[in-house]
Amino acid sequence: MDMRRAYYEDVRPFGSVAQVLWLLALLAALAAAPFVVGGYTVYLLGYAAIHVIVALGLNILVGYTGQVSLGHAGFFGIGAYGTVLLMNHLGLPLLPALFLGALIAAAFGFLLGLPALRLEGPYLAIVTLGFGLAIEVVFEKWEFFGGSVGPPVPDFPLRFADGLTADQNLYYLIAILAVVSTLAVRNLTRTRIGRALVAVRDSDVAASCMGVNLTYTKTLAFALSAFFTGLGGGLFAFHLGQIDPTTFGLVLSILFLAMVVVGGVASILGAVAGAVLISLLNLKLKGLQLADFEAIPLIGGALAEFLTAHFMETGMSNIQYVVYGLIMVGIMLFEPLGLYGYWIRAKIYWKSWPF
Amino acid sequence: MKFLKSLAVAAAAVVALGAGRADAGNVPGVTDTEIHIGQWGPQTGPAAPWGAVARGTEVLFQMINDAGGIHGRKIVYHSFDDQYNPARTKAGVKELVEGGPGIFAFVGGVGSATGMAVKDYLNERGIVWVGPAAGSLQWITPPQKNLFAVYPLYVEEAKVLVDYLVTQEKKSKIAILYANDEYGKNGLQGAKGQLARHGLEPVIEVGVGRADRDLKSHVLKLKQSGADTVIMWVNPTHAVITLKTAAAMKFAPQWVSSSTLSDAPLMTAISGGLWKNVIFTSFSELPSSQSPLMLDYRKAFDKYAKKGERWGVFFLAGIAFAEPLVEGLKRAGRDLTHDSLIAALESLKDFQGIMGRIGYGPGERQGQKEVFVAKTDETGLKVIQLSDWMRPN
Amino acid sequence: MDGLTPLLQILVSGISVGGAYGLIALALAIIYKTSEVLNFAQGDMAMVTAFFAFSLLVPLGLPFWAALPAALGFAMLVGAAAEFLFLRRAKEPNVLGLIIITLGLQMIIFGFASWKWGADPKDMPFFIGPFDVFVLGGLIVSHLEMLTLAVALAVAGGLALFFRFSKLGVAMKATQQNRQVARIMGIRTRRVLLFAWVLAAAIGALAGLLIAPTGTVDPYMMWDPMLKGFAGAVLGGMTSLPGALLGGLIVGVVENLFGFYVSTEFKSVVPFAIIILILGVRPSGLLARHYVKKV
Repeated sequence: MDMRRAYYEDVRPFGSVAQVLWLLALLAALAAAPFVVGGYTVYLLGYAAIHVIVALGLNILVGYTGQVSLGHAGFFGIGAYGTVLLMNHLGLPLLPALFLGALIAAAFGFLLGLPALRLEGPYLAIVTLGFGLAIEVVFEKWEFFGGSVGPPVPDFPLRFADGLTADQNLYYLIAILAVVSTLAVRNLTRTRIGRALVAVRDSDVAASCMGVNLTYTKTLAFALSAFFTGLGGGLFAFHLGQIDPTTFGLVLSILFLAMVVVGGVASILGAVAGAVLISLLNLKLKGLQLADFEAIPLIGGALAEFLTAHFMETGMSNIQYVVYGLIMVGIMLFEPLGLYGYWIRAKIYWKSWPF
Repeated sequence: MKFLKSLAVAAAAVVALGAGRADAGNVPGVTDTEIHIGQWGPQTGPAAPWGAVARGTEVLFQMINDAGGIHGRKIVYHSFDDQYNPARTKAGVKELVEGGPGIFAFVGGVGSATGMAVKDYLNERGIVWVGPAAGSLQWITPPQKNLFAVYPLYVEEAKVLVDYLVTQEKKSKIAILYANDEYGKNGLQGAKGQLARHGLEPVIEVGVGRADRDLKSHVLKLKQSGADTVIMWVNPTHAVITLKTAAAMKFAPQWVSSSTLSDAPLMTAISGGLWKNVIFTSFSELPSSQSPLMLDYRKAFDKYAKKGERWGVFFLAGIAFAEPLVEGLKRAGRDLTHDSLIAALESLKDFQGIMGRIGYGPGERQGQKEVFVAKTDETGLKVIQLSDWMRPN
Repeated sequence: MDGLTPLLQILVSGISVGGAYGLIALALAIIYKTSEVLNFAQGDMAMVTAFFAFSLLVPLGLPFWAALPAALGFAMLVGAAAEFLFLRRAKEPNVLGLIIITLGLQMIIFGFASWKWGADPKDMPFFIGPFDVFVLGGLIVSHLEMLTLAVALAVAGGLALFFRFSKLGVAMKATQQNRQVARIMGIRTRRVLLFAWVLAAAIGALAGLLIAPTGTVDPYMMWDPMLKGFAGAVLGGMTSLPGALLGGLIVGVVENLFGFYVSTEFKSVVPFAIIILILGVRPSGLLARHYVKKV
């Protein structure tokens, strides 16, 4: 796209004034949001932002290092449980507990990275899957973690300004951390570590010949990815207000993977877009009612009759799964680079118009 | 400059208007002609069979609206699908409460985790919530002003079963098969505690993982333990797999189950006829009951239920858990506020619809404390009532 | 009961349930062997076939000899449709993208099945009652268990012969190793892929039909077996078919042994622990040849 003529141009944070202005506009919108929209939309924004942090983390692993993980819900859970338990049992204040919880997740990420040195593809996927499963079972079984009910989540203690509700304060923390994480990961991927990750992804044998320490890089990738996911988990505990073992299962890990791949692997913008799309779809997709079918012009009535004859009306809400699946398949079928790929295509189209 | 200033003022005015949505003095969710009541439920997802609960409540409300509503107000029912995912439950509740006319009260709601996600939120806003569809201790520990539990506690239900088994059936070699979640663990806790009070211990306790489909090792353990009675505190699918596996292993103890499995026709149908002579507890009249109230509900079911809906325990539970709310709304009268509803609910003593006796009081938020014991017959289709409404000793 | 009989009993149980897992593992391995794609939709494809068989058997009352083959035919159609309509249409796919497509497929199939048949579980009639048993000494083996194991062995054996000795089998191996070169050599790779999906779907459907009578038919019925099948396939080596069956059997046996002798609650995690240990020693699974990557 744009030619880079010096190393500095490749790694500088903002490519142009336009980028800075867009970022400032986004920041302003995020900051103003609680005053302009209702609590429900703020909740949605917070939810999406938490998933952005997670997607950024997973993207480091999947997109930039080319490893597969089906167990990231485990790190999410470690971050959540870690933060809550540190606050409950050790009385730590929120930010240190959040940070420590993410670090604990990173430590587990490092551990999980060790098998990655020898394994790849489905073999690594199974190991991560087993990890996620083991975490879930441990949370459920060990009473120290609150058993099936989960530990009580403390009230959100931070106050950014007077007159803000706890929900709004939480939203600000999430938004700030999401923005910071995005910038951090962006910088990470553009500098030495990012190049090392990409080198490992594209050919690890060649990379190690070039002097990239495979052990260090692969485990670092896992640890970094787990750190951000754990951070998201800690925030999630406060956002939902309660945590229990069932939340952190395989379905969630798959959701995380879908966010990253649908958004576009190895792309920050893609991770953000994928996270927002998939997480909000997950929350908002609603089943249709029979009346919605009947309202379709021309064929509505006949369609509704056909559906009631052959499908269970009580199961009609399941159409949301079909739609969700079609959206995912649709995006990936036509553009393997996911949402980011569409964005690039749109940019190229407009840039080279009218040719 | 002047233009910018007026623009700023206009913007501020818009923000101010947007921020202050509800009129002061109006109860959210109540208008002159409407009461807005909400419920979340798993219409899809891993707990989808329990989606029938929310649909049952819908039929009850339609029946009430047909009869003229409550003190001149019709019930506007908002039920949404939360897929048994607490994040969705919270999102849906927020959307309902903070948008449009608001919600006056919530009813039912399947799941402990899902309910826990919104419990504090509803409490903060003083929104009344009646009849969570789970017999968990969490609703009443500690009791909250706005949360009225109806479903008898799993712990108490297990105690009643044990009392019955030990005293009436003279069983002493009792094993417990429990689901590895809050529901199952509550049942285990209640059963163990009550056995101890009779001076007994469970012969063996076997836990079942949530997603497990292969229960051969579980059943073999039960068989090896020499138990002659097995109390099952699991979900219907696990119960069916257990019975089928046991039949294949020629293990035939006295099967006992919680009220979750009290839908005898369903259990018989999905177990290939194995659900014979099973002792279970029930928290409400059985779907086959012929009492006048039940027959009225059946008529409403025939009229309003969706095609393919089954007249079963989960559907009935949706009606049963809403009965106290309806009674409370009636007693609160025309002047409907959160406080008047709470006072009306607290005035319920020995109120009985199709469940057992339900009563509340200041600080008392567990509505029903009794269940009865029943048994399926040789065909698995008919149910024989074995005991009256009883509480544990 | 003396000490040996429960051990034998649990081994028998483990082997038979491992046979079902092995069938799923075989299905996954076939698709992986041909195109390096992990088919996440395998379990639900089997589930929808079981539902289809149920709807032929119960509301329509068809006899078993008609309904079960029809169900297998349905499964093959589903597999063919999946490959033809979805996987093939992917433009320049990478492996992750294809995995997400199978994931999307899984959701579509799951949503469709839940919508069509509702959430209430169902009971699958079968030509062998699950309670018919052989009794050998103190050992009780049900007919269904024997059938499951027999089918698994037969399918695995048949596939091994097929891949070794038939042209199509060799063509499938060639397609996986290097698709470009295979095309140059005259292999119709598109047809090979289609065939792989059809075959895998049919085998997965066999697993579904054998698992259905042991429990209930409901939309989630294949989630756990699918996971175990995946674990088994990896354990055996994703490119080795005898390995897939062996892996499935090992998972079934280990799981049941652990569940009986140690703890039923952690039963699902133990196979993964074993796999991690074994993969540490043999990173490509038990029976697969470890291809060293070249730069």
